[in-house]
Amino acid sequence: MDPAGPEPTGRIEVRGLTKHFGSFTAVDHLDLDVEPGRITGFLGPNGAGKTTTLRMLLGLVRPTSGTATIDGRRYADIHNPLTVVGSALEATNFHPGRTGRNHLRVQAAASGVSDRRVDELLELVGIPAAARKRAGGYSMGMRQRLGLAAAMLGDPHVLILDEPANGLDPEGIRWLRGFLRHLADEGRTLLISSHMLSEVEQTVDDVVIIANGKRVAQGTVEELRGEPTAFVRTSDPDRLTAALQQRGLRVAPKAGGLQVTTEDLAVVGDVAHASDVAIHELRSEQTHLEELFFNLTETEGDRNRLSGAAHARAGVAPDLPPPMLPPPSGPPVDPSVVAAPPADAREAGR
Amino acid sequence: MTPAIRAEFRKFFTTRLWWGMAIAVVLSGAAFAVLFALVFTSDIARGPQGAAVPQTDADLAKAVFTGGIQVGYLLTLAIGVMTIGAEYRHQTITATFLAVPRRGRVMGAKVLSLLVIGAFYGVLSLAGAVGAGTLVLTAKGHQPFADSSIWRALALSLLILGLWALIGLGAGILIPNQVAALLISIAVAWIVEPVLGLVLALTDWGQNISPYLPSRATAAMLESTGGGFDGQPVEQLSWWAGALVLAAYAAVMAGLGTWRTVRRDIA
Repeated sequence: MDPAGPEPTGRIEVRGLTKHFGSFTAVDHLDLDVEPGRITGFLGPNGAGKTTTLRMLLGLVRPTSGTATIDGRRYADIHNPLTVVGSALEATNFHPGRTGRNHLRVQAAASGVSDRRVDELLELVGIPAAARKRAGGYSMGMRQRLGLAAAMLGDPHVLILDEPANGLDPEGIRWLRGFLRHLADEGRTLLISSHMLSEVEQTVDDVVIIANGKRVAQGTVEELRGEPTAFVRTSDPDRLTAALQQRGLRVAPKAGGLQVTTEDLAVVGDVAHASDVAIHELRSEQTHLEELFFNLTETEGDRNRLSGAAHARAGVAPDLPPPMLPPPSGPPVDPSVVAAPPADAREAGR
Repeated sequence: MTPAIRAEFRKFFTTRLWWGMAIAVVLSGAAFAVLFALVFTSDIARGPQGAAVPQTDADLAKAVFTGGIQVGYLLTLAIGVMTIGAEYRHQTITATFLAVPRRGRVMGAKVLSLLVIGAFYGVLSLAGAVGAGTLVLTAKGHQPFADSSIWRALALSLLILGLWALIGLGAGILIPNQVAALLISIAVAWIVEPVLGLVLALTDWGQNISPYLPSRATAAMLESTGGGFDGQPVEQLSWWAGALVLAAYAAVMAGLGTWRTVRRDIA
């Protein structure tokens, strides 16, 4: 990519990154590692500091302290950065009177990329004809695709995308998922921010969660999901506990019922039936990751207190966070996971 | 630097602004040339009352050909404001700085491209003005190209439009809201500052300051004579001193804008 520079590692490293806006601390001593060949989800509620972090990483916002490097260099020190790092920040970064194609041609001129590449990318993201119209009339999905094309312009080995799924229809999200996976399989580094876990949970390999500018958790999706558990309420907890333990399952009392460490609701039901115990409720519980994220997003007005507590215990999976029932119409949690976790998703976690 | 400049030109020529402005510049150049030519060659103006009217054919041609320059430089001032204002307004500044993170380089590219763009509009303005003005002057029996100082005035008017575009660039950065920046800079350049110049010229101490105001420096570059409130010709710099003064304004405004841009967070 940059023949003059050192061998690119594709690693993103953030160390002690801090940004104050006046008395407000948007990002607070953030550490972050993003590895090549993987898709890293950068998650957090709105206002958690994701965009500020990405903008510091891209040299748009000046950090109060700390460093953010790509390939070991600050963004401003990268020669012709569009050929090293591609990024799509907001879906609104277009002049309404300029066509999408001309927007890309401007970027192409600034980074020495040919106009032919512009047309290739417009084909790739599926908007070759629409991109010849002025950007003012573009839908959100069009803007996302144009932004993605802009990010890919210099064939970079690092991609930083801010809420790329925002405004895409389900078909578009599926397309995006495949596209991003393909890029990661080519060995590129992908950092994708989102305020919705469900949007990216099936896309990403690694997860970094921040709240109030602080890192709350970092790990692979499997690590953070933790073991799958089922919740069961019954007429005779003692008898059911004994019966389940006999089947080799771990059981613990929880909030008027039992928590069973299994992903297979049928086993729990069968055991209860065999031991002649009535079941009043039986369901899969949210994964640890979902609970963690849910607690952060649902208590946004009170994030300081909560994120402080969560931060102190970050990484201690099993006892974190406090138990919580799935909301009836609550956060945008992927319904397939709440209702009945697909076996393959669980197995991937092993 | 070259890629950044190419990008700036592509930015400018891929919105409708440029040809809308081009039409306005050609038409205003031609219209003012015809108007000035008719007024200055009229019997009333050339009579004993016409103290501030150019007398020689050379001065007459210069006044006619550059008559639309004031409107022209207000337009390139607006272009300068919009060059940066639109980037902030539509947040394309993010894409600009992602492609070229050395912001000083981006600003340098903007300055150079604006000078060229200003000169480009200068050519258009003069095409309209010289075309229409020559017709009227010739018809009235005057020599349109009496001596070589006309060519200097024409060349300097290209520079004038470029320099005013840079003043606009600075104003567009220092006043964050694009619409406010447009209104304020045009109101100041068109009304406030020229009136201030005339008022200053009435006072003893102000007489020494007023030649250094941008509009007076611009007039000095063109050696166009103008009357004060009292009808007497106002004191004026020589053409080269006027050019230096106007260039200094452009440098200060563009410099302040660059200084501000390099430090600003793009959030």
